[in-house]
Amino acid sequence: MMQAVGLRIDGLSKRFAHGVKGEVYAARDVSLDVQPGEFLTLLGPSGCGKTTTLRMIAGFERPDAGRIFFGGRDVTDLAANDRGIGFVFQNYALFPHLSIFENIAYGLRVRGQDGDSIIRAVSEVMALVGLSGYEQQFPAQLSGGEQQRVALARAIVIRPRVLLFDEPLSNLDAKLRVQMRAEIRALQRRLAITTVYVTHDQEEAMAVSDRIALMNRGTIVQVGTAQDLYHRPASAFVAQFVGRVNMVAGHLEQSASVSALGRHFVLHEIPPGVASGDPVRLVLRPEGFALSRGPIANGAVAAKVLSRTFLGEKIEYELDCLGERLQSVRYNAGAGALFEEGETIALRCTDETVIALKEENP
Amino acid sequence: MTTVDARAVTGVAARVRRDPALAAAVATLWLLLALFVVYPLAMLLARIFWDHGELSVAGLASVLTDRHQIRAFANSLLLALFVGVFGTLLGFLFAFTAARCRLPRAIVSTIDASVLLPLVSPPFTTAIGLIFSFGPRGLITYGLLGIKGFTVYGMGSTMLAETLTYFPIAYLTLRPMLAAIDPNIEGMALSLGASRRRVFRTVTLPLCIPGLANAFLLLFAASLADFATPLILGGNQFPVLPTQAYLQITGLFDFRGGAVLSFVLLVPALAVFLLQRQWVGRRFYVTITGKGAGQTPFDSVAPGVRWLLLAACIAVASLIVYLYALLLYASLVVALGANHAFTLQHYRVIFTEGLKPIHDTLIIAALATPLGGLYGVLLGYLVARKLFPGRRSMEAVSMINYALPGTIVGIAYLIAFNDPPFVLTGTALLIVACYVFRYGPTGIRTTIALLQQIDRSLEEASLGLGARSGTTFRRVTLPLILPAFFAGLGVVFIRSMTAISATIFLVSIGWTLITVKILENITELALGPAAAFSVLVVVIVFVVIAGIGRALRLLRAQGAPPVTSMLGGWSRP
Ligand SMILES: Nc1ncnc2c1ncn2[C@@H]1O[C@H](COP(=O)(O)OP(=O)(O)O)[C@@H](O)[C@H]1O
Ligand SMILES: [Mg+2]
Repeated sequence: MMQAVGLRIDGLSKRFAHGVKGEVYAARDVSLDVQPGEFLTLLGPSGCGKTTTLRMIAGFERPDAGRIFFGGRDVTDLAANDRGIGFVFQNYALFPHLSIFENIAYGLRVRGQDGDSIIRAVSEVMALVGLSGYEQQFPAQLSGGEQQRVALARAIVIRPRVLLFDEPLSNLDAKLRVQMRAEIRALQRRLAITTVYVTHDQEEAMAVSDRIALMNRGTIVQVGTAQDLYHRPASAFVAQFVGRVNMVAGHLEQSASVSALGRHFVLHEIPPGVASGDPVRLVLRPEGFALSRGPIANGAVAAKVLSRTFLGEKIEYELDCLGERLQSVRYNAGAGALFEEGETIALRCTDETVIALKEENP
Repeated sequence: MTTVDARAVTGVAARVRRDPALAAAVATLWLLLALFVVYPLAMLLARIFWDHGELSVAGLASVLTDRHQIRAFANSLLLALFVGVFGTLLGFLFAFTAARCRLPRAIVSTIDASVLLPLVSPPFTTAIGLIFSFGPRGLITYGLLGIKGFTVYGMGSTMLAETLTYFPIAYLTLRPMLAAIDPNIEGMALSLGASRRRVFRTVTLPLCIPGLANAFLLLFAASLADFATPLILGGNQFPVLPTQAYLQITGLFDFRGGAVLSFVLLVPALAVFLLQRQWVGRRFYVTITGKGAGQTPFDSVAPGVRWLLLAACIAVASLIVYLYALLLYASLVVALGANHAFTLQHYRVIFTEGLKPIHDTLIIAALATPLGGLYGVLLGYLVARKLFPGRRSMEAVSMINYALPGTIVGIAYLIAFNDPPFVLTGTALLIVACYVFRYGPTGIRTTIALLQQIDRSLEEASLGLGARSGTTFRRVTLPLILPAFFAGLGVVFIRSMTAISATIFLVSIGWTLITVKILENITELALGPAAAFSVLVVVIVFVVIAGIGRALRLLRAQGAPPVTSMLGGWSRP
């Protein structure tokens, strides 16, 4: 097994000519430190610069500023073919004129390995990704999921120092996506290859990553584990992008409390730079509300059901609570436990479920 | 599909009653195809194999044993092979440079414009330029180097002229092919550790092989059918089949001999056509992986190589521009190589004595262009959208005149329409029909290709909204296939102005053509008027094509699939 190396990028920037705006930054001063063997995901909305950053790491794109280090070695000026990377493209980019075996063997042949060791290595990796028996097929004969596995096998067979994925699952259907992401994660753990993975799907990011770097408009806005991002978002953007939220405005009062939705929330953490009397925003996750029929008592407030969306395993409600529109979600607790539209129910939330953020545009 | 077809066949009578317009259109098209495609070919074959009331291969045998004719046949194949190989290489050089060297747009369009010049001019224009440069009084051989008695005529110059004339076809087919290769595939190979050169050798080139084979076959066919260039440049040393057939007929009035010679040409021409359709057509890899990112993931060529490629392209493009500039210059001086005083005398000549061919050509083009465009769209639409019995055979028959070398078509028309029941020799109608059925098929192909990209449900949606089928055609289908109509118009017009190989057999005292007149001028060594005529043709074609191109852009419905340009339909000169 090859020794895993860390990946560090330092102040990477890339501008592109833009028809209307002259020049735009696709990536701006992006810095990251990926530990050896770590699985890091670049997450962000479409157009935020994830692909550009990844392509700079791969060597497909030359940064306008900044350096890239693989295991402490500066590779910024190395071409893609000298970096020792494995890349998996969104559209797989299989060689249509080569058999599956030859597709996977390509990188080994380039390295001048002898025939026997190529056969051994390719068979091993094909078994690893569950493709044994497909050696003589051609890419066009394979399904999307199988093509995806070939792309993966081709990237890992060369024992890359860094493995890079650009939205590898977005061409698959929903079920396969869930299955493949688990396989990718298991494989990466097993081989302990330092990995940077790009996706715009927050659920996928949370499912596979050790850490997530959330990007917006060319810059990284927060790096952390999935829990960090979900429970301690650094900004409203992060809170809104990772999961769903209700935002309620309020003011910080004495004794670190905020009054909203008819009660006082006691904050366990006061956002930095906020003093008593300053406006804040409370972030309330839809799953944080406890809903029930019965009397409005014990700290509950009345909420009216505006609409209901039945999704089988869970039910989404839109509520009106003291003039605030709230999204709420509950697991399905049986046919008798559904609330009707127009019904008034009791809504409770605890201090643990709220997060306060500094008001960005007061 | 099969069940639908079966229903179509059993319900003929019912369908005629239900859709009399369709039945009438199909019947008319079959009649026309029978008269202008099947009948002439049948008459040609009859002339070859029917001798005094009995079947005979004597005519064919006499050609196949004549050493002179065998040599012409071998020359034809050799020439086609050479032009196919070198034209494809040259086309690939240009296509690769344009698609992979990240050149500024201005440079690419400049190269484009110069490379496309040969496609909008009579096929022998390069040949004239070569004579001006390297002929007995050539600017370079005689004027610059002072060589006396240098002979430009022969195999070498014929090959050079045809390669320069036809390689743009290869360029036009290879460039979209290169552009369609998903750039990530090359990026992938690079990231797996391959050098640029290796990426080219193991990925780019193999992916282009079907395209290269296709280009080769197109050029092979073009050269095999070319008649004017060898006639001008081949001289006596380098006879080829089309010129032999021509001389047999115009020199010796031996129709049967000409027919037999052209028949010998038919075998390789047909083989190439079938190969191209059956084999190459199925082997395109296209992008199996869906949409490419559109951007090259890296500099696919090293800076040094990039300059080298660009320099090579500029050299070739300059040669072409030089030849055309020379043509323009020759049309404006008294006698190139002897007296370089400025004069408009050649233009005066063509607009007085030469007015008739200009007048005739324009009238014929004006008739053939709309008819050919309409024919292409109508037949293409019916074949692609209407389930009438025999539509596959109709498409196949419609392609015959397009696939055959012009010499064969010309001789077949000459033989078929010289005698009753259809005496049309010497009429404008015959020339117009020749152009319509020979070049209209480009429009058919474009229409079919376009309609295949447009989902049938679009028309069904209109019907579902209550529009009747006539309204649906007018409001939905027509706007979508209009581009194919204009592309078809463009091709028929260019060819009506520039073609010669078929129609040289059909001109008469009553109706003649500019191209034929140019050829006469060249043989009479009246090179000044020949140059002036050529310049005139290039100018007219350029202006009209620019106009049609504009209309095409204006009329293309929002979101309609693009059509390959008019020049893209230029596969068979
Ligand atoms: N080759 C390019 N030329 C011009 N603009 C580009 C190019 N590549 C990316 N961009 C622009 O840079 C921005 C970031 O793109 P990208 O990195 O592809 O985003 P993401 O992968 O996060 O969706 C976008 O606005 C995009 O339009
Ligand atoms: Mg992207």
